[in-house]
Amino acid sequence: MRIIKNREKLSGWLDISQSASGVVLAVFLWTHLLLVSSILLGEQAMTWVANTMELSFLSADGHGYPWVVSVIAVVIAAIVLVHVLVAAHKMPLNLRQQKALKRQLNIVNHGDTRLWVWQAATGVLIFLMLPVHLWLIGSAPETIGPHGSADRIWQQGVWLLYLPLLFCVELHAAIGVYRVAVKWGAARDLNSRNRLKKIKSIVSAIFIVVGIASLLAFLPYANAS
Amino acid sequence: MSQQAPKGRMLTFNIFRYDPQEPGDKPKMVKYQLEETPGMTVFIALNRLREEQDTSLQFDFVCRAGICGSCAMVINGFPTLACRTLTSKYPKGDIMLMPLPGFELIGDLSVNTGKFMRELAERLKLWLHPISDDMDVHRLEAPMDPAEAAKLYELERCVECGVCVSACATAQMRDTFVGAVGMMKLARFELDSRDGRELEDFYHVIGNQDGVFGCMTLLGCQDNCPKDLPHMQQIAYLRRKMAVTLIS
Amino acid sequence: MKLIYTDSLVIGAGLAGLRVAIASKERGLDTVVLSLIPAKRSHSAAAQGGMQASLGNTVKGMGDDEDVHFQDTVKGSDWGCDQEVARMFAHCAPKAVRELANWGVPWTRVTKGPRQVVVNAEKVTIEEAEEAHGLINARDFGGTKKWRTCYTADGTGHSLLYAVDNKAISMDIPVHERMEALSLIHDGERCHGVVARCLITGELRAYVAKSTTIATGGYGRIYEVSTNAIICEGIGQALALETGVVKLGNMEAVQFHPTAIVPVGILTTEGCRGDGGLLRDKDGHRFMPDYEPEKKELASRDVVSRRMTEHMRKGKGVDSPYGPHLWLDITLLGRKHVETNLREVKEICENFLGIDPAKDWIPVRPTQHYSMGGIRTDATGQNPQLKGLFSVGEAACWDMHGFNRLGGNSLAETVVGGMIIGKYVADFCQQNTLEIDTGLVESFVGKVQNEIDELIDGDGTESPFELKKQMQRIMMDYVGIFRNGPELEKAVNELQELLKRANALGLKCKKRHANPELVEALRVKRMLKVALTVAAGAAARTESRGAHAREDFPQRNDKDWLNRTLASWPDAEALSPTLEYEQLDVMKMELPPGYRGYGINNAIAHPDTEKRELQITAVLSQLGDDADRHERQNALMPFEVPEALTPKNERLSEMLQQQVAGEAK
Repeated sequence: MRIIKNREKLSGWLDISQSASGVVLAVFLWTHLLLVSSILLGEQAMTWVANTMELSFLSADGHGYPWVVSVIAVVIAAIVLVHVLVAAHKMPLNLRQQKALKRQLNIVNHGDTRLWVWQAATGVLIFLMLPVHLWLIGSAPETIGPHGSADRIWQQGVWLLYLPLLFCVELHAAIGVYRVAVKWGAARDLNSRNRLKKIKSIVSAIFIVVGIASLLAFLPYANAS
Repeated sequence: MSQQAPKGRMLTFNIFRYDPQEPGDKPKMVKYQLEETPGMTVFIALNRLREEQDTSLQFDFVCRAGICGSCAMVINGFPTLACRTLTSKYPKGDIMLMPLPGFELIGDLSVNTGKFMRELAERLKLWLHPISDDMDVHRLEAPMDPAEAAKLYELERCVECGVCVSACATAQMRDTFVGAVGMMKLARFELDSRDGRELEDFYHVIGNQDGVFGCMTLLGCQDNCPKDLPHMQQIAYLRRKMAVTLIS
Repeated sequence: MKLIYTDSLVIGAGLAGLRVAIASKERGLDTVVLSLIPAKRSHSAAAQGGMQASLGNTVKGMGDDEDVHFQDTVKGSDWGCDQEVARMFAHCAPKAVRELANWGVPWTRVTKGPRQVVVNAEKVTIEEAEEAHGLINARDFGGTKKWRTCYTADGTGHSLLYAVDNKAISMDIPVHERMEALSLIHDGERCHGVVARCLITGELRAYVAKSTTIATGGYGRIYEVSTNAIICEGIGQALALETGVVKLGNMEAVQFHPTAIVPVGILTTEGCRGDGGLLRDKDGHRFMPDYEPEKKELASRDVVSRRMTEHMRKGKGVDSPYGPHLWLDITLLGRKHVETNLREVKEICENFLGIDPAKDWIPVRPTQHYSMGGIRTDATGQNPQLKGLFSVGEAACWDMHGFNRLGGNSLAETVVGGMIIGKYVADFCQQNTLEIDTGLVESFVGKVQNEIDELIDGDGTESPFELKKQMQRIMMDYVGIFRNGPELEKAVNELQELLKRANALGLKCKKRHANPELVEALRVKRMLKVALTVAAGAAARTESRGAHAREDFPQRNDKDWLNRTLASWPDAEALSPTLEYEQLDVMKMELPPGYRGYGINNAIAHPDTEKRELQITAVLSQLGDDADRHERQNALMPFEVPEALTPKNERLSEMLQQQVAGEAK
């Protein structure tokens, strides 16, 4: 079993990239949701956030550059792609592996393994839903704002996408960050692992609540137009 | 012999039965009933079932004291040592026994963990590689930091029962994955100041998909290890060490 | 018929067997080990407390050397041991400990400076030397003058077994797991190997070898409750017995360990008492000082076990549904000590008793623990009756334990005996050729095959499980800690009845491959013969010596019984063994029989004892004043070990003395 050295180093880099890309995406996700949740503070807050994101403070007319958002969407899409590619090879890809996993879940009762199954499943769903979201935003960045977003969410029915996506990403990200922390040794003992696990659940819950609240907060703006 | 013991409750055992060497035999679950006695363990129960109800029932026990690691099996969904599992732990009196997944099945509850462990030891070279061959057993031994010795013993308490492998979905999905037992043992030698292997040497063995970078940190090992070994910390430690070699 | 040829065949993959295999392989010999189970699951792993070796690194071990270790061992054996063997052993023990350190054993080390220990129920501070820092530590054990028991927490056997098996794996020594040896192949003079059955496929194989080493451990499981693993069923001794020529030594010498938990009989290490634990009765009273004011809880094992039984007979035991028991109290050692140095004990208490030993007392009672008897060998480990048959470890009566073994000397025997005998086995293999008589091999395989056919196809009705249970009960009731003529007689008669019934064993499960009932049936008949050698030997020995305590003959009788029982079974159809006796020669002893230091000194002296004592004084006075201890020892009782093991052992205390002497000059 002699493998060339570079190939050998590859798996290390793959694993690190998975953790790193995951953490970057999670941080982005949480920031993103907090920014969106500015709607909870009112129309102006959200407009200000949207404009700032478009770097309005740099442009003379104060309108900013909506393409910045497109760029962000593209960058995120790229990181997601990396994350998906490196994560995919850990998933049960062939039938034999899927059978083994199924058997395992049937025979052995283990919380963290079930957690991972949730993570894997949400990962697959995110992989299906996220491109639509990125396309909608990336292709029409100028529409982001209390009214534009509200239209998209409630008039065009995109909430049907956003709501499940919200659940998936918030579960996926929190579980993922918890796992990264444990994986690289942030939990020195079982107590701190339990604490991390608790924090993970709270984070998921908070962001889901904030997310739903934000979606609902758009409702009046959609009706208004 | 002893005083009249009060009549115990009836336990129901649901046991996986399959003899792969018997032509035409198919895996099945079989129910057995047994009256509980005080202090009964799964070891006592299985022996009584074999003696009184079905002499062909296969299972493995050696020390029956939780020391040798022979008798791991999945009891009501948790892989653990059967010899030290008290039946009183199960208030409903229903006990389901399955052989450890991930090992060659010899029959019923008996699996070939020994073969697995020996192959693993050969593959990962799980023995001390002394720094020098010049050992004089007649002279005073080389001193060792007492704290290091204590730490090594702590990691050495593994009994190779196979629970960590059976509780690990990664190991179940990938045959070549070394599992917590392999990593734990390598971590033990990596820490041993008497071992001459360098980080790079360890990287060759576990710095890959079959080792620390294939582990998904599901922690079935940590949560089921009957010896409460610090798998979580040790695997993380190895992973950091291995990651450092990527940059250096 | 599958035939496998090898140079050195070892039966049993515990510490002793593996150590012999390593010694063979080191010489480039082809080596095969057979084992019922994976090597690392062997009963050696259960040894908790440690192994004795006179390193003398800890301050409480200063002044220790081979002489003191030898004397403790001989006294412990109640003068029943072979003193030359005890010398070989004491000389090589430090080497084995150091070798194991090189193979990876993480021996617990000495930490310099003050350290608090519990001695005689009081906290005492001892000061470890600066120079001893990091050297191998030792703890106190019963029956020893110095703190001599080297250890790794309380998992010493585990650490040793793992290190030695790892070494064997690194040397590519094959261990054929789940193979059960069922018969020795021999021609009445030379042993040629074994017939073995694969426990998975049921296949019979003949292993033909230059040397065959039996390292299958003891026969504790002929008793109903034993600290032994359930595989310690005496099959190794039975294999030897069934040859009809091989003799077993001192089979009646069976040790009962004072502190096994009630009811399951799992051991809590002697280290509990060595580290300062106490024995208490139902009133919480510490009773051992009443009986043994000097050594108290740390008297020799046989003594403590008897005192405990005596005390329970006085009604001082704690009643339980499983009969009376006493308490082992280690709460005074403190939680930290219990959780680091007595971890396995803690786990056992939690899992099997549901108690916390740092807080609660542990219910204990004396329980069958060790077989001093076994296959008789000479000092090189070879059986005097069958050339090429070796035995080592608990399976053997190499005879360093005599009638009672000291705690920490059994684990030591496995690796020390393995180290010494392994070299002799290798010598034998190099000096002899492989003799293959296929006709002979076939006849032995045929015999085993017939036995199996008879069990499976025959019309017997006796249940092997039932017979075994009855045998175990008889041994418990009549061949226990205290023995007497009428009960032993009864034991022999009842065992003989069982042996007759064993001719009509019948099986419900007719499988020829993996079949636990067949395994049981093949064993039970063999075990019955082993049990009979124990019971018959005990009935014949009308004295008390070491662990063999006769209520009707309470004195140690050197005049008539300073000998070794030899049991053989020349007629396979006979119902009892043939007993003979091998005299121990007082005139060759370095340490003539004397007072052991427990209870009243009531031994009946051997006529040679006084003569030998005078001779020793004379020999020593002829040596000059400048004769060192090695020269004095050599003048009294020269002994041999393999050449590679002859150098003297270096010791910290001696180095320090030299330093001091050097500075004084």
